[in-house]
Amino acid sequence: MEIACVIDKRLATPPRPGHAGGPWPGRADLQDPVAAAEATESMVRALEALGAGVESERPGEAFFALDGLRGLHGGSSAGVLAAVRRALGKGKAIGTAPTRFAAFLAAGDWPRPVPVAALRTRLGVDGREAEDLVEALERLGIETVRALTDLGADQVADRFGLLGLRALRLGRGEEEPLRPRAPHEELGEEIELPEGTAGRQLDRALELLVDRLLATPQRRGRTLLGLRLGARLAAGGSWSVEQGLGRPSAAPRVLRNVLAPRLEELPGPATALRLRALGLGPPARDQLELAVGGDEPRRRRLGAAVREVRATQGAEALLKILPVDASSRVPERWAMLTPYPEL
Amino acid sequence: MPGLRRLYAPQRVAVRTDARGAPTTVEGVVVEAVREEWLVEDRWWTPKPLRRHYFELALEDGRALTVFRAARAQRWYRQRA
Repeated sequence: MEIACVIDKRLATPPRPGHAGGPWPGRADLQDPVAAAEATESMVRALEALGAGVESERPGEAFFALDGLRGLHGGSSAGVLAAVRRALGKGKAIGTAPTRFAAFLAAGDWPRPVPVAALRTRLGVDGREAEDLVEALERLGIETVRALTDLGADQVADRFGLLGLRALRLGRGEEEPLRPRAPHEELGEEIELPEGTAGRQLDRALELLVDRLLATPQRRGRTLLGLRLGARLAAGGSWSVEQGLGRPSAAPRVLRNVLAPRLEELPGPATALRLRALGLGPPARDQLELAVGGDEPRRRRLGAAVREVRATQGAEALLKILPVDASSRVPERWAMLTPYPEL
Repeated sequence: MPGLRRLYAPQRVAVRTDARGAPTTVEGVVVEAVREEWLVEDRWWTPKPLRRHYFELALEDGRALTVFRAARAQRWYRQRA
C-alpha cells in the first residue's frame, strides 16, 4: 500500500523545529475557518475527480491510496503524482509512504530523526491533550519518534496511557486503514439577514434555512450525515461550525435542535447564514453499516456518537443493558437498563 | 438506584381461564394451545415470597406469548421469558 498525503501549506502548517517561529505565506487564511474549509473541500474534490478515495479529517490535509490510481494515470506513482500536482496547482506539499503518518512526515518535510512534536496533530485528540503528551515525552528525554518506538508497549501504557499507546502504534507504522469519505454532491443554502437580526429572528432564519436545505431537489429523499453552519459576519470575515447528527436524519426538528444551540457561538452580528450538508446518507429507514477498524478509533467514534445522540435526543435516550443475574428463574432479574456511560 | 430500569418487567394483562386455571383468552384473543407450563418459587424464606405459574401460549392470531399468574396477588402478567 502506498499512501499519499497532500498538505495545503496555507492551511495546515504544523509548528515544528525550524518553522515554529512564523507562519508560512498565506497562513493568515487560517483566520477564516470557512475559507479554510472551502479550500480543503475544493482540494478534496479535485483529488476525487482524479479517482482517489480521499480521507480528510483536518483542514488543509488529504490522504489517499495511490495503488488503485496508477492504471488511470500512466501506470506509475510518478504519473499519479504529476496528475495530482496539475489538478491542485501550487502551494501544496505532497509526500508518499506506506503509512498515513509516514506520508504526512514526508509531505511536511520533517527533519530526521523525527521529533515527537510531529505526533501533535496525528493523535486524533484536541490540541491540549496532544501537547501534554508531547511535553511529557520530551521532559523524560524521549525526544524522537524512534526513541518512543524503542520502548515497550507496557512501559508506554503505564506511563502515558492510551494516548501514549496510540502514539507508539503510529510510530511503529501500525495504523487503521484509510477511511475515504463518500464523494458527495454539493448541497447548501444561504439566506441574507436583515441588519440587526438576532435572538428569535435568528432562530427563525435558521428554521427557514433548514427547510430550504431539506427541500433541495438534489437531496432526492436522502438523509443528511452532518452539517456545516456558517455565517458572514457584519464586521467582516466569516464563522462556521460543523455538526454531526449522530445518525442520518432528514427530520427538520432534529436538524433545528442540533443547530440552534450552535447559533449562540456566533461571534457577532451576521449578514448571512449558510447551511451545507457534509454528507448524504441513505433514504430514511435504510440501515447504515458502522465499520470502524481498531479498538481506539472505534472507542473515540463511539464516544462522539454517544455525546451527539445525548445532545439531540436527550440524556435518557441512550441506555445500556447491564447483565445482573442471567441464571435467575425470574426474567426481570436477568438484566437492567442503565444510562450509557461517558466514553 | 436512580437511572436504573428493569428489562423484561412483567406487564399486567387480562386473562380468562378454564376450570383448571389454564388461560383460554388473553386480552380477548383465544388461546390456541398451552405449549408449556411451569412453576417458579423463589424467596420463600423472605416475608415476600415469589410464586408464579407460567404458561407459554400459542394464540389464535399466531403470536407466541408467555404469561404467569402471581399466586399472592392472583393477577396475570405477560412477560418475555
